[in-house]
Amino acid sequence: MQFELRTQVIEPRRKTFSNLVRRYGDRPASRYEEGSVDIQATENFHYRPLWAPDKELYDPTYTAFRLTDPYSFLDPRQLYYAPYVQSRAASGEAFSKSLDYVDSRGLLTKLPDGWAAIVGELLLPLRHYEAGAELISIEGSRFAYGTTIDQACTYAAFDRIGNAQSLSRVGIVFNDGHAHALAEAKEKWLDDPALQGLRRLIEELLIERDYAKELIALDLCDQLLYAVLYTHLDEAALMGGAGAYSLIAQHFSTWFLDQRRWIDQLVKVWFADPEFAETNKAAFNDVLDRRWSQIVEAVTDYSAALDSRVDTGAVAATSANAAAVAARLGELGLTVPGGK
Amino acid sequence: MTVPTQKPARKLTMQQRYAALTHDLDWDPTYVAEEEIYPFTTFEGIKVHDWSKWEDPFRLTVEAYNKYQAEKDRRLYAVLDGFAQSQGQLSLTEGRYMNAMKIFLQGIPSGEYQAHRNFSHLARYFNGPGARFASLCQSMDELRHAQTEIHTLSHYNKYFGGMHDWNKMSDRVWYLSVPKSFFDDAGTAGPFEWLIAIGFSFEYLLTNLLFVPFMSGAAFNGDLPTMTFGFSAQSDESRHMTLGLEGIKFMLEQDEDNLPIVQAWLDKWFWRGYRLIALVAGMMDYMLPKRVMSWKEAFELYFEEQMLNGLFKDLEYYGIKPPRHVQWAIDEKEILSHQVYWVLYQFSHAAAFTTTIPNEEDQAWLESAYPETWPVFKSVVWDKAQRVVDSGGRYFNPGLPQLCQICQIPMGFTEPGNPLVQCQRHSIYEGERYDFCSDGCQWIFDREPEKYVQAWLPVHQIYQGNCGGPTLPDVAVWYGLEPGDAGEYIGSMDHQDWLKWHASSIKEG
Repeated sequence: MQFELRTQVIEPRRKTFSNLVRRYGDRPASRYEEGSVDIQATENFHYRPLWAPDKELYDPTYTAFRLTDPYSFLDPRQLYYAPYVQSRAASGEAFSKSLDYVDSRGLLTKLPDGWAAIVGELLLPLRHYEAGAELISIEGSRFAYGTTIDQACTYAAFDRIGNAQSLSRVGIVFNDGHAHALAEAKEKWLDDPALQGLRRLIEELLIERDYAKELIALDLCDQLLYAVLYTHLDEAALMGGAGAYSLIAQHFSTWFLDQRRWIDQLVKVWFADPEFAETNKAAFNDVLDRRWSQIVEAVTDYSAALDSRVDTGAVAATSANAAAVAARLGELGLTVPGGK
Repeated sequence: MTVPTQKPARKLTMQQRYAALTHDLDWDPTYVAEEEIYPFTTFEGIKVHDWSKWEDPFRLTVEAYNKYQAEKDRRLYAVLDGFAQSQGQLSLTEGRYMNAMKIFLQGIPSGEYQAHRNFSHLARYFNGPGARFASLCQSMDELRHAQTEIHTLSHYNKYFGGMHDWNKMSDRVWYLSVPKSFFDDAGTAGPFEWLIAIGFSFEYLLTNLLFVPFMSGAAFNGDLPTMTFGFSAQSDESRHMTLGLEGIKFMLEQDEDNLPIVQAWLDKWFWRGYRLIALVAGMMDYMLPKRVMSWKEAFELYFEEQMLNGLFKDLEYYGIKPPRHVQWAIDEKEILSHQVYWVLYQFSHAAAFTTTIPNEEDQAWLESAYPETWPVFKSVVWDKAQRVVDSGGRYFNPGLPQLCQICQIPMGFTEPGNPLVQCQRHSIYEGERYDFCSDGCQWIFDREPEKYVQAWLPVHQIYQGNCGGPTLPDVAVWYGLEPGDAGEYIGSMDHQDWLKWHASSIKEG
């Protein structure tokens, strides 16, 4: 039996804020919409930035990628702050559980030699890649035009510094509580030829001064790198007696699926823009023109190093991944150099 | 039987572990020059020799951050949901209390949001990883505050006027150019000045003066969501205060040449922030049906006692002096709120809040809080306004006020020591005359006239035809004002609704 609660009913004057009524009609709005749409100031700026006197404080021309309406991009994950930290608290807890398990059984310290080399010499140095990815992402948090893009970039930045910290924790467990594996990994990041393509890419992106071009180049590299390191190697690790690697890798591949959702949507919206679709394709082609070969080469070098520790066919996998990514880009009407 | 060898103790201390997880992620670039990656940290003249000297007092990791913040938000949103479900607005002290929250929603979330964007700038462009990570966390927090404030007030928006177009209004309405120009000013400065402007001056020097009136005001007036938001933001704010203090100390310890630069920023941003929160002074003394304390008491406690007699004693060690023009602020403490509210009262026909003459109970409180100045203001201003009401009218100023070029508040402040003589200063720059409300604002202009001549002054813009048209109704439409948003509280839609809700005829369903 249900009891009947009596509450006062007062007719509201309105269902939500006026900007949302103008956009979506007179309907209740979600918290994502109320907290994300039309938040950034768009007019009547008072002063020009001392460090960019030709621009407004918020200015669509900080990037070559443009949108007629910046809020044509909405995050398909509908993430505003509260659900963002809640979802990351949950995934952080899951990662900690996996890592504690691996730690308590000493699984990372007992990896077969080749797999230990992959973790120590090739996986751990990527904490610096993630740290660089954070810097690229946070640039979008400052320079994106519109709150929905800014917000997605902000969370991506926080995710990536979180990824860097997670990899560092893997390094500490790998080292049974010490940090010298991290120090060695940093030397690899600085000097190992297999990693220099990736490091050069990150450093060069950090001086582009166009957050969206940086983001897209980074994402192209992510697509190849995550596919080989966390997806391809995951399967090989299970076969090769390196279950601990698989346990860790799955957290990163799961994160990357989430990351893809908003970036794919952003690209979709760019290319569907009524006014700027061609501008945006040209900007994307410019990124491909300048970066695609560099990215494929960097991830191929890295994959060859993976194969030199444990031959899982990483180079072949990267080659196939690059062809698949190139095919998808081609379907979007983009021109991928080298005909890949 | 084999005895398992005991696992060696963890070799990393918490501090080393934290360093490994955060600072150690940085590397010295070799494919490009470091100054190309971080191009904005030299033009302001601040010298930094060793970024690793930046201390992170909180040693927060991403994992810990997400965990704490998720828990805090779970609790906050549970309160918001419960309040909405139970029509909690009925338990406010009075409907007119909502005017304080209208000003809050119109002025504060957009400022929090600006803080988010510009702390992201620091999180990208500071050379040191410790300073960057602290800025990143603050950027996240500020986004949180903008959103939780909007969500906190979202329920009220459904039942009261003045809140529905807060984002458009914060870009357009005359009194909201006060907070907007403040944050625009800081955001267009360099990263170190931002840190002093917002991280230190705003988040440390003035934060209690800004937040206590709103949050305690909420607690005293039955506004459970805003009070809960206040508590929920508190632990973030204490991190922000620590960042601000760390920032100023870091700059001062890095090079003694930084002292005069930092001192000048402190002088500027104290005055800029102090003028901004003059709006809060008017709100707390006149718009809260139940008062927490007077502006004068708050200023004495949170500024004179805690800052001048506390913080600045510590900063003396570095050669920092109390802000220039601080005496002017002290001298104004008994008249500031009266002057500000009088401006708001006479121009509220063009505002997104309502005002009213202080009632008998309010007047008794004002008399006890300001025994020297209230009687003067009452006879000069409010008795006349009352006579207009008694004869069936309502006094609104038919003209447009002159605005101070810097703080953008209508020129209504007075000469120190003479509360009946309006203060007016001016400077000539490139043949044009610019007017100011005070020595403090004039001093700020004279340091950087090329910046402040750019100001988007709402009254100038109306005269130039950039605000929807030449008449007040045109401008009101352009502002996004709807019936029920502006004017006198008594008899307003909010007032009528409030009376209706509390009459015995509330429907049950």
